[in-house]
Amino acid sequence: MKTYKMVKSAFPDFIELIKTKGKLFGPVKQKSKYSFEEISDVKDLDFDYQRTVLGVKKFLTPPKYKTLTFNKEGTKDIIDEPETNIVIGVHPCDIHAVKILDRLFLGNIKDPYYASRRENLTIIGHSCLPDDKCLCQSTGTDMVEDGFDLFLTELDDYYLVWVGSDKGLALTIAASDLLSEDISDETIREYVRWQQKRSSMFKTVMPSFKYMADIITLNYDSEIWEQFGEKCLSCGTCSLVCPTCNCFNVDDKILMNAEEGFRERMLDSCTLPYYSMVAGDHDFRPDRTTRLKLYYTHKLKEYIGRWGQPGCVGCGRCVTYCPVDINVLTVSEALFGEVCETKEVCE
Amino acid sequence: MWKRDKKPVVGVFGFSGCAGDQLAILHMEDSTIDFFTSADIKFFHMAQSHQEVPKVDIALVEGSINTERQLKELKEIREMADVVVALGTCACYGGIQYLGEDVKTFKERMKYVYGESGEVPEFLDLVGKPRPAQPISEYIDVDIMIPGCPISAENFVPIYTKLISGLLPQKYPMPVCVECKYEGNDCFLLHGKYCLGPVTSAGCNAICPSMDISCVGCFGTYEGANYPSMINKLKEIGLTEEEAIRKLKLFGGNKIEQALKGD
Repeated sequence: MKTYKMVKSAFPDFIELIKTKGKLFGPVKQKSKYSFEEISDVKDLDFDYQRTVLGVKKFLTPPKYKTLTFNKEGTKDIIDEPETNIVIGVHPCDIHAVKILDRLFLGNIKDPYYASRRENLTIIGHSCLPDDKCLCQSTGTDMVEDGFDLFLTELDDYYLVWVGSDKGLALTIAASDLLSEDISDETIREYVRWQQKRSSMFKTVMPSFKYMADIITLNYDSEIWEQFGEKCLSCGTCSLVCPTCNCFNVDDKILMNAEEGFRERMLDSCTLPYYSMVAGDHDFRPDRTTRLKLYYTHKLKEYIGRWGQPGCVGCGRCVTYCPVDINVLTVSEALFGEVCETKEVCE
Repeated sequence: MWKRDKKPVVGVFGFSGCAGDQLAILHMEDSTIDFFTSADIKFFHMAQSHQEVPKVDIALVEGSINTERQLKELKEIREMADVVVALGTCACYGGIQYLGEDVKTFKERMKYVYGESGEVPEFLDLVGKPRPAQPISEYIDVDIMIPGCPISAENFVPIYTKLISGLLPQKYPMPVCVECKYEGNDCFLLHGKYCLGPVTSAGCNAICPSMDISCVGCFGTYEGANYPSMINKLKEIGLTEEEAIRKLKLFGGNKIEQALKGD
């Protein structure tokens, strides 16, 4: 699709325009963390961020939400969320994560709750520069071609505005006063230089994903899992902050009057004690070791087998937030270490 | 659709504690009236002057057991109730009054408080002969535990309403960290500050971490807790092993005691 240029001085007007199209969310600094929050003033936006605690999944599969209400007469679905949400400042890794969630929730069987939220969400991406926790170059998710409505690449004096959908095209038409189509040779050179600079900034390289699935299979009975299991706090943080983890639990909650209630969906984590418990109190994964093994075999092996791509988008959230340093980087390094000592095999 | 044949008979009983869990029930505001109409409340010392206790279907028991008389009453409650619910951290794990259990003997503690004789004054005889504080599960079978200091309505109501509707509440233990990440909070442990979220039962909606205050563990122990790793982490951020264990014991009661012994 089309690409435009927008000078930086036009950006506040662009935000004002976007705000008329729906509720605008964007990265906001809150003490030691960043979070996608509702934006009332363009000054609240802070694009100089690495990662929010929760990704875009907070809009698509919120941590906790009601799916239906019930009373003595019957049930009523809570599906429609007519409000349009626009989230600006989404990095390529998080857009890839949304693509993975779309594949799961909008596949053969559409999840109506996800579908309505997805339909009402406009994603405006934003370019980023990596820190030492960014692994997206290794996972192949550092660039994004689709999955967004608009994408802004920030160069020195202007933004390149990439259009990724009809929704995005409609926004550029509305904002046509702020955009120009003047893409010169110099623009292209500037863009290429920026890309080269960005590529060279990746400091942390994960062991190759080319054989990750094989390496996990070979390590299935490895002692590594025990070592990580001993350390794991079973706190669930890794999966709650992971932008692609989407397992949920469902509970019916009755109100105090014992006559009506609601059904609630809440994000779950496979690292919690009863995650794999089935009827009759049979638990397939009673210990931390097997639960961690499930997490990583699913994310780094099963996803590759099923979709040809890992369930990790390299956002670095588990690297940042696990209190005891169990994350895709430390786990994959340990797994590769078991089978190969020489670096050449790993790279 | 579920239906109930009749309202179950419920009793709310309090032993040693601050009575905050009973107060939390009365403090549910919009739901308080419903509490008294959705079940047949036959015994609730804090709220009613007229008390009857022939037999209850569900007994909500708050507080730890600290005297012989309480122990006798607790056993009577177990006899007459179909379902016994331990309400609050004191009833579930022993509460703060469980602290000191391993520091001094009970006799030494009595002497420390009541003087050389180590005996309680006569006028206190009406509460019965003192015993070391224990959670109610030490003496009777407990069907459901709802920890909290005090319990939160959001956690209590769905469990309680399932019980009075004749349904089985979902048992799904999770630590405070889960609710903390639901709120999108950063982690104290990553910034060199202690927090007991990973070893503490959820149910509070991570209210303290969301207000930038470390979790002190008031909802009691989390079933999946990994204490050795937690203690290591606390040591890593500058606490001594002794300090770390003391923090864990504050609300951990008998469960921490058992965990540290390796039971």
